[in-house]
Amino acid sequence: MKDQISALIDDEISLQEAEYLYTALKAEGESRECWMTYHLIGDAMRGSPTFKQDLRKRIMQQIDAEPAVLAPRNAKPALEPVKSSRLWSVAASVAAVMFVGMIVLQQQPQQAEDILPMEIAQSLPAEYLQAHQSVVPSSAAYYIQSAAYTERAK
Amino acid sequence: MLLDKAAHAARDLSYKGIFMYQSGTNSRSIEITHMNAGQGEYSRIVMLDGLPQELLSQGSDIVIFSPRNEKVVIEKRRGKNLFPALLPVNLELVKASYKAKVTGQERVAGREGVIVLLEPRDDYRYGYRLLTDKEFGLLLKATTLNQQSEVIEQIAFNQLNLLNMSDMEWFKPHVDPGKPYVMEEEVPAGLAESPQDWNLEQLPPGYRQIDHIKRMVPGKKTAVNQLIFSDGLSSVSLFIEPLVKGARPKVGQTTVGPTNFYANVNHGHQIVVVGEVPQATVAQIANSVHFK
Repeated sequence: MKDQISALIDDEISLQEAEYLYTALKAEGESRECWMTYHLIGDAMRGSPTFKQDLRKRIMQQIDAEPAVLAPRNAKPALEPVKSSRLWSVAASVAAVMFVGMIVLQQQPQQAEDILPMEIAQSLPAEYLQAHQSVVPSSAAYYIQSAAYTERAK
Repeated sequence: MLLDKAAHAARDLSYKGIFMYQSGTNSRSIEITHMNAGQGEYSRIVMLDGLPQELLSQGSDIVIFSPRNEKVVIEKRRGKNLFPALLPVNLELVKASYKAKVTGQERVAGREGVIVLLEPRDDYRYGYRLLTDKEFGLLLKATTLNQQSEVIEQIAFNQLNLLNMSDMEWFKPHVDPGKPYVMEEEVPAGLAESPQDWNLEQLPPGYRQIDHIKRMVPGKKTAVNQLIFSDGLSSVSLFIEPLVKGARPKVGQTTVGPTNFYANVNHGHQIVVVGEVPQATVAQIANSVHFK
């Protein structure tokens, strides 16, 4: 069951199967937390093609139809399921923008009056290091990246 | 042969263990659970030191969860060759740039291993000392050595168990589902359309461009070109961005831990190269950028 849910989130199985899965899931009485975490993974992994959005919307509608079990704890009962899910994503984007904005503010280097070149040995371009470590496919640096990132995000 | 086995073992086997990354005074313990029951790779990586953080990956899609006081920050990444899957499945590039030889045996995390030394064929890369499990081939330890044979990075299992499992119960982040989650912002559409008016000539031998992304770099308001080069083992990032009026250009070179930096200005563009490779490599990659 779990790997089917995972496949569903990864859109590897068809919508028909997905609906069967959802029914089966309810029957098995999976917990809200379980759904939430799968959605966290799914939301994060999913791209944005229309079909995928549609799938998400349909799942959300079904979830909204069962607020007692599946509605997020802090959300008010949704009268309009589709709008509610859109609001959620809008809220998430706003929060994300704010989050990025905060980092930009925190990391804005002190603008010097003159335009003399700056020796990187004196002022490490940490933002590039972070960008490098966050995407390079090599192993080791990836784990340190997390450390640097975490300190920054505090 | 041993390398092939190591590359496949890390992806095909199911295992759980704790490994430690060390570079200079920096060290960090990490727990990994990796499963491949014939339906692709799933892994969960948990940082055991410092602030809590988890990586969940499916194939090469990685999602990073960073729980904070009030929220959970989520980032999406791509990655392929994370330890212990350090070696790529296609070893052609690696073989072209490194000479492999078996130099002995060593015991790590309760497992007997075979030492494979990867000696660089030129000065554009560091050497690697790999310890592969005698029985299963899995990479147990990887040490990066500079030209003076000094250790600059090391990553090694302290504890490792091979598993025979197929349930997905473990494949979920341990975060509070009641907290709001925040997605890291991706590059806004439209920014990625500026024409490319440069090309690359004379990259260091053995290095190939493996990716080109436009990304937001913290502290920058505009998208930055990031090109990634690899020789199969080591990786280098090249950043190219138009120099903003009033901003101080960055120049020069420096080394921090295992990482070398090189920066210059070329045709009104800021070029920055960063990589866990020798200084000569970052410099040559920066100088390979030619504007039309």
